[in-house]
Amino acid sequence: MTDIIEVSQLTKKFKIQKPSSGLKSFFKPEYKNVTAVDKISFAIKKGERVAFIGPNGAGKSTTIKMLSSILYPTSGTALVNGLVPWDNRKKLAYDIGTVFGQRSQLWYNLPVQDSFALMGKIYDLDEIPFKRRLSKLVKLFEIRDLLEHPTRSLSLGQRMRCEIVASLLHKPQILFLDEPTIGLDVTAKEIIRDLIKKQALEEDTTLLLTSHDTDDMEKVCERVIIINKGKLIFNDSISALRDSYLNKKYIEITTEGGKKIRTVVNTKEKPTKQAIDELVKKYHVTDMTIENPPMEEIIKEIYSRE
Amino acid sequence: MAARFLKLCKLFLFIQKSNIKTAFLNKSDALINVIMMTINNLSFVFMWWVIFENKGSVNGWHFEEMALLFAVMNNAFATFALFARGIQLLPEYIDNGNLDNFLTTPQSSLFLISTSESTFANWGDYITGFLMYFLSGYVSWKSFWLMVLCSFLAFVLLYSFRLIMSCLAFLISDSQRLGDNIFMAMITFASQPASIFTGWYKVLFLTIIPAGFISLYPVSIIKDFNWPNFIILIGGVSAFWIISLLFYRWGLKHYSSGNRFGVR
Repeated sequence: MTDIIEVSQLTKKFKIQKPSSGLKSFFKPEYKNVTAVDKISFAIKKGERVAFIGPNGAGKSTTIKMLSSILYPTSGTALVNGLVPWDNRKKLAYDIGTVFGQRSQLWYNLPVQDSFALMGKIYDLDEIPFKRRLSKLVKLFEIRDLLEHPTRSLSLGQRMRCEIVASLLHKPQILFLDEPTIGLDVTAKEIIRDLIKKQALEEDTTLLLTSHDTDDMEKVCERVIIINKGKLIFNDSISALRDSYLNKKYIEITTEGGKKIRTVVNTKEKPTKQAIDELVKKYHVTDMTIENPPMEEIIKEIYSRE
Repeated sequence: MAARFLKLCKLFLFIQKSNIKTAFLNKSDALINVIMMTINNLSFVFMWWVIFENKGSVNGWHFEEMALLFAVMNNAFATFALFARGIQLLPEYIDNGNLDNFLTTPQSSLFLISTSESTFANWGDYITGFLMYFLSGYVSWKSFWLMVLCSFLAFVLLYSFRLIMSCLAFLISDSQRLGDNIFMAMITFASQPASIFTGWYKVLFLTIIPAGFISLYPVSIIKDFNWPNFIILIGGVSAFWIISLLFYRWGLKHYSSGNRFGVR
């Protein structure tokens, strides 16, 4: 399989004005350079589903924005489907789809179907293939009931489903998803993850998904790239990460008296189910939450093993 | 090339249809706004009519010249507000990162940004513009087409100047108000009789605040067409157009995007 995304020594520095008061800073402002992405290199094969994860401010979104032709890099090179993104913006747009969880590409006051029609015109899609494509995606993402609603009246989860459909209308080969589950509740997150994976498998779409939620990568992706402070610190399969760093579960139970007990289970030594059974046997459990280790802890562990 | 242009025209019409649809979500509100805009413009015209009635002329300008200026100014501003107002929101798009949406499509980002916003009330400016042309007394087929052409050139100038102001957001954050204020200052200067600007003021109003390309040259060309003035007008407008495009292109290379929550 050929590489559809190739990134080499990609770097992005931002010039940020130092906060200061007084007239001097007005006439002669001082700046500092912040390195958001620091010489990262990786490759993604066609059809691969890759999670690009890291804590807040790690450089995930900046990398995706360079690969989707939004930002110019400070140095380094990248090829997306054989094109240098920042030099071939319009051409590349036909090959990629983008979803930014923090903002919308739909028109705020227009019904969702009008936004889709507008996207169809923007991507030069012919009437009949467009209608056929839309009908397929509407069915897959179960949004028929939402089509006549203006974007402003949709819930976050509903809007995200429509956003993904909008980004897939022109059948892109690569889909960049920047925090697609941000702000969603557990159920909505599950639905979005399932739909993204289902669509990618069905159409062999290459996925690059950023998130700081480790569940996103476990449920959707097969490979994971972790970056921290702009540097790439892990690039391997999800199973490798799971074996090495995601082998803990945090279980918190609430007993009948309202007492909270938190315990860490090493899943290599003891399956999660067995640990739960033991806790239920020992205490009268009224509530329970199970969590993966937080991103910060995984990163700490990666560094400590280096 | 021709097929591409035709597609762009179709997209433009589709976007305008969507903008009108949005405006007509509340039909009565939209129509009242158009009427109020016309009344507002006419009250301004009335003020100048009173001045000319009492003073006779201002440095050689009479109410007829002023009416021609209002025709050009109102038509140019109506074209800007109805079909390209989005450019005024560029600083906001830059600050909150919404510019990203326009940069990931296969169309010209400038075209999509410009058409992303439309103010329906400004149809009232067209009403005032054409009314003032007929009140100017310089009515003929030749002057009519010259007025249409000059209004279009004035629109290109307004657009270019606003684009330059909007691009300041690539350098200064939160510059929406700064851009708006400078743009409004330019419109205010362009709405005065051009004859009051002489000497260094004239240089200033043809360079830093290019209001003269809206007031001075169009009025003289519509009244009495001459090639030197027409070439100066075309040259000045083209220069601002090219500078604004270069500034936008430079800005994109320095764009740092943002992540503010929200929708378009």
